[in-house]
Amino acid sequence: MSSIIGYYSTQFGELWKKSLFDLVKESVEGVLKENYIEMKQIDAIFFGNMLSGVLENNLHSSAKLSEIFHTNVSIFRVEAACASGGMAFHLAKQYLDAYSNKTVLVIGAEKMTDYSPEETTDALAAAASEEEQNAGLTFPGLYALMAQAYCERYHYTEEHLAHIAFKNHYHGSLNEKAHFKNKITIEQILKSAYVAHPLKVLDCSPISDGAAALLVTNDSKKTKHKVEILSSEVATDVISLKNRKDLLGLKSVRIATQKAYLQARIKPDQVDVAELHDCFTIAEILAMEDLGFWKKGSGGKMAKELVTMHGKSKKLVVNTSGGLKAAGHPVGATGVKQIGEIFLQLTNQASTRQVKSAEIGLTHNVGGSGGTAVITILRG
Amino acid sequence: MISPVKIWRRQKKIKKVMNKIGKITSWTIVYVPPSDFKKYAPYPVVLVELENNQKMMGQLVDYEKNELKVGQLVRTVLRKTQETAVEDVIAYGLKFKPINQIDSGRAH
Repeated sequence: MSSIIGYYSTQFGELWKKSLFDLVKESVEGVLKENYIEMKQIDAIFFGNMLSGVLENNLHSSAKLSEIFHTNVSIFRVEAACASGGMAFHLAKQYLDAYSNKTVLVIGAEKMTDYSPEETTDALAAAASEEEQNAGLTFPGLYALMAQAYCERYHYTEEHLAHIAFKNHYHGSLNEKAHFKNKITIEQILKSAYVAHPLKVLDCSPISDGAAALLVTNDSKKTKHKVEILSSEVATDVISLKNRKDLLGLKSVRIATQKAYLQARIKPDQVDVAELHDCFTIAEILAMEDLGFWKKGSGGKMAKELVTMHGKSKKLVVNTSGGLKAAGHPVGATGVKQIGEIFLQLTNQASTRQVKSAEIGLTHNVGGSGGTAVITILRG
Repeated sequence: MISPVKIWRRQKKIKKVMNKIGKITSWTIVYVPPSDFKKYAPYPVVLVELENNQKMMGQLVDYEKNELKVGQLVRTVLRKTQETAVEDVIAYGLKFKPINQIDSGRAH
């Protein structure tokens, strides 16, 4: 069985003083140092990153990492849009399933704030279909189409969606690494400007810089902290939103989830903490239903009751990191940060946002508008 | 990135989907656009199901506020889709136009 034995994340936010590789270096040095491991003990590196090829004309990052870390091991750069980080972790687990007594690094990083919002929006839109790009659709636009369809079908309003952002900003206020550490009110969310109707600025995750790194091993040596990987499953679906049967959930998520629960021998009601891909408020609601936590169509009502908020929830707490909404969304880093946050929770290192005696955790990382989904289940 | 060859390839397919009738199944208004669409923002984008059940996406043009709704009948039209540099080939593509009451006889 493979386990996570260490995690380090940089600050997430607008980090103008740091380049992509400054952030990568900080996260890797951080995780190695905290766990008394040296680079020469690392057998392979998996690097999740989406945009550096498009934005910075910067490809072949495996060789760049070799130069920074003075290593000649296999290095894989993984790209699956906003699921790049989760996918890098998934491939690392597959590597460990194939080879025994190995220790690997999983890194996720993204540098997004060097450019104007239009340039970054353009680059992100590369993960959409050609027809969607030609229609002038953006990622907020694609999720807005889902939000519109969902709210129309189940008679919910923008206020229902707003409660996700309200909760996640509260959690973000407890996370010192979060991009946004401020609490926001429902009224502020509802009064914020539209990005793509019905989604407003405060329904959307921000454009952030950041890096996160995990140490993963199947070496049986004793370590200070150890979190078992019960399952990591991937599923895909058509890239075009128009070719989905409906817009009320994501098929890729449902397929990956089913496989992940089966492999882990876990039922949804056993999960104590989860990090979900709330790139937009609607995404967390759809995810709660697709993951089997909430009944289909009940998401708007449940969101409004704040049943997954720290201090309020009787069982499952969702997005203690602040989620993508408040912790920030450096796209390649997100999937790694989600697993890292669960690692902190399951090893009792989550300070003021610690969920009491959390034992089972789940992460949900989505690429594009649902073309890729990575579900990971962990046990402390 | 847009290129003349890409526009040429795309335009060969467009005539097959011109003047088709369908219904809006979801919609949004994009306020923060990609850079080539800056000039047109904010603009509505609609998901449409055609009479033959084929689904398409595109912007809605020449519309009244009350026509931007699920169930609205629309027709495909040819329009300039995005900004290109002065000497570039103009990018034409598919957009949708609401069918009003008088016109809607054609839908049946």
